[in-house]
Amino acid sequence: MSRFMLLHDLRLALRSMWRTPVLTALTAGAIACGIAATMVALTLYHARAGNPIWWKSDQLFAVTLDNRGPPGPGEQFQRHPEYPPFLVTYRDAKALYQSSIPTRSVRMFKSRTIIEPGSPGLAPFAASMRVTTADFFSMFDVPFLYGSGWTRSADEGPDPIVVLSRHLNDKLFAGANSVGKLVTLDGHQFRVVGVIDNWMPEPKFYDLPNNAFAVPEDVYMPFGWTTALQLPNAGIIGCVADAKFGSFNELLTQDCNWLEYWVEMATVAQRQRFQRFVDNYVRDQKRYGRFRRPLNNRIVNVSTWLVMNDVIGEENRLQVGLAGLFLAVCILNTLGLMLAKFLSAAPVTGLRRALGASRRDIVRQHLIEVVVVGIVGGVCGILLSWLGLTAIRVLSYSPAPDENPVHLALVQSLYHMDLTVLLVAGLVSGLSGILAGVYPAWRIGRIEPALFLKSQ
Amino acid sequence: MEIRALLKALWRNRTGPILIAVQIAIVLAVLVNIAYLVVGRIEVYRRPTGIDVDNIFWVMSQGFGTHYDQSTAVSSDLAYLNGLPGVVAASATMTVPQNPFGYNWPFSTVPGVDAPKAFSRIMLMTDRGPDSLGLRFAAGRAPHADATTAAPDPISAISRWAPEVAITQRFADTLFPKGDALGKTLYTQGINKAAKIVGVVALMQAAPGSGADGDYNERVVFVPGIPPGPTAMYLVRTQPGRQAEVMVQVEHSLAERVPARFIAHMETLARTAASTRSNLKSSSIILGVVAWMVLAVTAIGIFGLAAFNVAIRTRQIGTRRAIGARRRHILRYFLVENWLISTAGVLAGCVLALALGAELSVMFQLPRLPLYYCAFGVAALWLIGLGATLLPARRAAAVAPAIATRTV
Repeated sequence: MSRFMLLHDLRLALRSMWRTPVLTALTAGAIACGIAATMVALTLYHARAGNPIWWKSDQLFAVTLDNRGPPGPGEQFQRHPEYPPFLVTYRDAKALYQSSIPTRSVRMFKSRTIIEPGSPGLAPFAASMRVTTADFFSMFDVPFLYGSGWTRSADEGPDPIVVLSRHLNDKLFAGANSVGKLVTLDGHQFRVVGVIDNWMPEPKFYDLPNNAFAVPEDVYMPFGWTTALQLPNAGIIGCVADAKFGSFNELLTQDCNWLEYWVEMATVAQRQRFQRFVDNYVRDQKRYGRFRRPLNNRIVNVSTWLVMNDVIGEENRLQVGLAGLFLAVCILNTLGLMLAKFLSAAPVTGLRRALGASRRDIVRQHLIEVVVVGIVGGVCGILLSWLGLTAIRVLSYSPAPDENPVHLALVQSLYHMDLTVLLVAGLVSGLSGILAGVYPAWRIGRIEPALFLKSQ
Repeated sequence: MEIRALLKALWRNRTGPILIAVQIAIVLAVLVNIAYLVVGRIEVYRRPTGIDVDNIFWVMSQGFGTHYDQSTAVSSDLAYLNGLPGVVAASATMTVPQNPFGYNWPFSTVPGVDAPKAFSRIMLMTDRGPDSLGLRFAAGRAPHADATTAAPDPISAISRWAPEVAITQRFADTLFPKGDALGKTLYTQGINKAAKIVGVVALMQAAPGSGADGDYNERVVFVPGIPPGPTAMYLVRTQPGRQAEVMVQVEHSLAERVPARFIAHMETLARTAASTRSNLKSSSIILGVVAWMVLAVTAIGIFGLAAFNVAIRTRQIGTRRAIGARRRHILRYFLVENWLISTAGVLAGCVLALALGAELSVMFQLPRLPLYYCAFGVAALWLIGLGATLLPARRAAAVAPAIATRTV
C-alpha cells in the first residue's frame, strides 16, 4: 500500500515538475548554485583546517619567547601584537635544549644545500634541507622507508650523516635502499642513514612561519653542522631593532630569531615544570638587558599554534561566510518559488481534498516533489562545485614545467573534495531542501477544499 | 493613488513578499561588500610598480664546491650579459622584486640606538641595478659600490654598506617630509653604519599591496654591492620584444661560462609578479562569480513571485479592467507593488551591509565601507527588481477585461 502510494506521489511530483519545466529548472538551479558555492568554500576551508598530527596534538608544543625590544610604532599595524615572535634565537634554543623536563625536544631551521650526484649525467642541483636535532623523527611520527633517524650524540659530533626524502632517494638512487651510501652536500660527504617514506603533513605544522603549505624538506642534517659548516638559513630571520650583527657568529649570539623550537610533553606536571623553567630562564636573562618586556613566553599545542599562525586565513573564512549567505538566499528563493508554484495549483489540490485526499496525503505528495527537486539540485550542485574547484585551481596555480610532483600533489589535495566534504554536501542539501520545502508543503496542506471548489 | 489598497493586498498575502524582501536584504549586503573587496583587489592589481616588468627576466645561478668564486663569477657573468645584443641592462641582486620575501631593515635620519626608526626593504644590487629594473630617478643618480668582492652571507653583505645609497620617493617622503632627502645621510640600525643618499627613485614597488601596506611596500633602499655567494640572481632587462630570444641564448650559454655552477632557475619577472598576485586574482574571480550568481538567483526569485501574483490574480485584474482601469494602471500597480517590496528589502539590506562591512573591515584591516557603495547597491537592486517584474506586469496589463466574466 505505502509503496504504491509513494510511487503514485512520485508520479504526481514528476508530472507537476513537468508541467512547469522552466520554474522547476530554476528552482533546482538555485539549489544547485547554493550547494556548489557552499561546497567550494567548505572544501577550501577544510583543506586548511586539518590538524595533521591530531593524535599527538596535545603533547607537542611550540615554544616561543618574547624577546622583542620596546614596542615600536609599527606594532599597532600587526594583527596580534600580543604574540611573541614565532621563532627563537640560537642562544635561547641552546639554553632551552639543556632542559631534561620535556620527553623530547627539537631545535631546527630550514636551510638549503647543493647536491653533487656522483653518477655522471646528473647535474648538481639545489635541495631544501632541514637542519634539526635527533628527536625530530620520533617526535613528529615521521615514517621511514629505509633505515632510521639519528641519536643525540650524532648532533653533537656532528656525525656526517643525513636522512633523505623518498622523492630525493628516487632521484639519486632510483628508489633503491640507499642506507650506507654517500652523498655530497655542499662539497662534503655524508652517509645516508635513513629514507623517509611519503610524508606530507598539511598544513606543515612545524614550519608555519615560513610556509604553511610547503612540501617537507628533501634533506635532514644533524644540528651540529649549523656552526661547523655555517649553514645558511633559508627561512625568516627577525632581529630586534637594536641588535648588532654583521657576521654569521653574531647571528648566533644576537637577538635574532630564526629557529623553530618544539617539545613533547605527555603530562600536565611536565608542562607546568617546563613553563616555570622557561620563565626562570627569561628572568635570568633580563639581568643581561635582554627580554625587556613583561614575561610572555607561550608554550602552545598544535591546534593553538595553527590558530596563532592564522593558517585558515581571513580569505577562507570570508568565503565560507559569503557562501552561507548565498545558500540562505537560494533557500529563501526556492521557498518562495515552491510556495508560489504550489499555491498556483491550489484549485487542483482543493479538488483532490474534496475527493477525499487527506491533509497528510497532500503534504506528503508535495514533500516528495520538494525532495525530488532537492536531489536534482544537490547532484547538479556537487557537479558544479567540482567544476568550480577545478577552475579555481587552474586560476590560482600554474605549475612550472619542472614542478616537483610531490608539490603538485600537495596543491591538488588543497582543491580536492574529500569524503567528509561530500557527506557534508549531502547533509547541507538535505537540510536546505527541508528548510525550503517544508513550509510550502505544510501551507498547501492547509488549503480549504471548499474555497476553491466554490470559485470554480 | 491606490497605495493603501495595495498595502492591504500585500499584507493579506505577506509570506511571499516577506521572503523576497529578506532575500533582497541579504543580497544587498553581500553584493555591496563583495564589490568593495573586489575594487580593493583590483586596486592592488593595477597599482603601478615603477618597474619595467614585461621586459625583465631573472636567472638564478648556483655555485657549488670549492672551485666556485662568487666575485669573479658575478663580474664575468655581468660583462657577458650586458654585452648580449638585445639586453638593455643586467645586474646581480640578492632578492627578486615583486616578491613578499626580502630583507626589511630599520633606518633613521639621526645616529644613535634610540633614534626613531622607519623600516624599509633593502635591495642589494650591483651598480646597474636600478637600470636593470627600468626605474626612473626623480633626483640624483644610482649609487656606486666600492667593494669588489662578495661577502660570504646576506647579513655581512648588507653590513658592508656602501658609502652611498639611493632610496625611493616614498621612503624619502617618510624620512624627510620637507623633500630634501638628496645629499642627506641615512643611518642604519643593527649594523650601525651611515650612507649618503645620492639618488631618489620615483617609484618602486617591492611587493604587491594596497592602502598602508602598499605604501610600505614602496619603501626601498638601494644598497650597491655584490650579492653573497654561492647563489647569484641576475636581473636582465631586454629591449621590448626581444626577451624570448635573449632568454634562449642565456639558457644555452650562461652555465658553462663559469666552472662549478649550474642554472637553478629562470623566470620572467612578469610571471613572478603574476604569481605573487594570483591569490588576489582567483579570489576576486570567486567573489565576482558569487556576486553574479546571487544577482541571477534574486532576479529569478522576484520574477517567479511576480509571475505567480499575476497568475493567481488574473480574474481580479480582469475585473479591475472591466470597471475602468487602464492598462498602464495595471502595469503601474505591479511595478509599484514590487518597488515597495524591494524598498523594504534594500532598507534592511543597508543596515545589514554596514554591519557586515564593519566585520570585514576588522577582518581585512580595511577602511570602513563607504556609504556610496550602499547607494549603488540600492539603485542596482531597484533596477533589477523593476526589470524582473516588467515581464509579468506586462502580461498582467495584457489581461482582457472579458476575463472577469469567465471562469478561470
